Amino acid sequence: MEQLMIELNPQTTQPVVQVKNLAKAYGSNVVLRDVSLSVAEGSVTAMIGPSGAGKSTVLRCMNLLEQPDSGEIVINGHCINAGKKTSPKSLAALRRSAGMVFQHFNLFPHMTVLRNVSLPQERVLGCSREQANEKSMELLKRMGLADKADQYPSRCSGGQQQRIAIARALALGPRVMLFDEPTSALDPEVGVEVLEVMKELASTGMTMVVVTHEMAFAENVADELVVMADGGIIEKGHPGQILKDPQHERTRRFLRAVLER
Amino acid sequence: MEMLKAIAIGLPLTVLVTILALMIGTVVALPIVAGLRSRNRLIWLMSRGLVDLLRGIPPVVWLFMLYYGISIGAVRLSALQAGVLGLGVVAAAYLAEIFRGAISAVPKGQWEASSALGFHRATVWTRIVGPQTARAAIPAYTTFAIGLLKDSSIASTIGVSEIVFMSSQYARQSGSGILVFFVAAGIYILLSVPLGLLSRHLDVKMRKAVAR
Repeated sequence: MEQLMIELNPQTTQPVVQVKNLAKAYGSNVVLRDVSLSVAEGSVTAMIGPSGAGKSTVLRCMNLLEQPDSGEIVINGHCINAGKKTSPKSLAALRRSAGMVFQHFNLFPHMTVLRNVSLPQERVLGCSREQANEKSMELLKRMGLADKADQYPSRCSGGQQQRIAIARALALGPRVMLFDEPTSALDPEVGVEVLEVMKELASTGMTMVVVTHEMAFAENVADELVVMADGGIIEKGHPGQILKDPQHERTRRFLRAVLER
Repeated sequence: MEMLKAIAIGLPLTVLVTILALMIGTVVALPIVAGLRSRNRLIWLMSRGLVDLLRGIPPVVWLFMLYYGISIGAVRLSALQAGVLGLGVVAAAYLAEIFRGAISAVPKGQWEASSALGFHRATVWTRIVGPQTARAAIPAYTTFAIGLLKDSSIASTIGVSEIVFMSSQYARQSGSGILVFFVAAGIYILLSVPLGLLSRHLDVKMRKAVAR
């Protein structure tokens, strides 16, 4: 996988996502302390760790759904510095580069599946309705959901809704996809559908950052594993390596809890 | 029959006062809602104070103040103007609270998804939050409209010749006593029941559309 990556992008030196010295606190409650991370083009980074570790917060800071107190975020060359005022333009550019998938899907309930996927293309990319619908249908087909286009989201299963959400994010042509516990709200069986789609996406070379509790996905699909606890990164590296031989006591404790249950 | 005719003369004004007050209320409510959602403490405090002031004083007192108390230059408000304006501003306060509640009933995830997709604020309001707010507000809005239909009778106190005004006039003239007010009550029911039905119909239809 890593070799393939290098072949695909011979002259890429700049990582797609760079997070530098990110820190955030709610009052005296420190949620992130000095988190730095970089994500190479075409790679899949899995972030694991106990709940409350700050994984989701890091991800949500990447497209500024959360405002960090300090630190710097660079996505696809668009730089945002927490200390300085962010211009709406650079914020829009950064968000356009990053597609986000939420734990609870957050589809628009008052629109059909097709409108859910098409509206952002029309509004954000300025596509015509026909162009947008064409692209949406193509993506829905890829997700195995072409027959759901005219349904409302509430009539779709959780796994289908999450795949629609993935299609909606992909439709804007992001450079990186951010997944915030995409299968945590799903039954295990239904979650598999979503993981399959994510695997397929990874195999096409999409850069992905995935906050997850799916250890099999982290081990088999991810190129890089990031272990977080107590608002900081305690370990990162090759997934197989870390899972086989964790260096940190906190990692060992976490892995025991998730793997030996 | 003659009685019914006499009362029915008041019907157009009852409907007119209700509709105009509802329109004024709806339009004025929007900036108030914006104020109630403002992060600027001063604007918030002013909006909050305005709502509490409008709600805290009985409508009939507002009507008296507007009709007897206020003269703009040399012009005094007519009974109809004072009635519509008074009921309208009071309606604005209640409707602002209804809208505020409906907006906060839209899940946080809808805002987050909109932000993550890069929608402009205007798009978020017109395409995402607005429609969901309208849907959530329909039951409370029509309940308020039915209440307003009946409260429009308060305008009779300053001489707007709507249903209750016409009824009491007829009662005094003909000496028919309480009967005329039963007939008036019947007319109000005939007006408000269809409104309630319409509201429920809309609500069910919208729910169905989303859950088809």
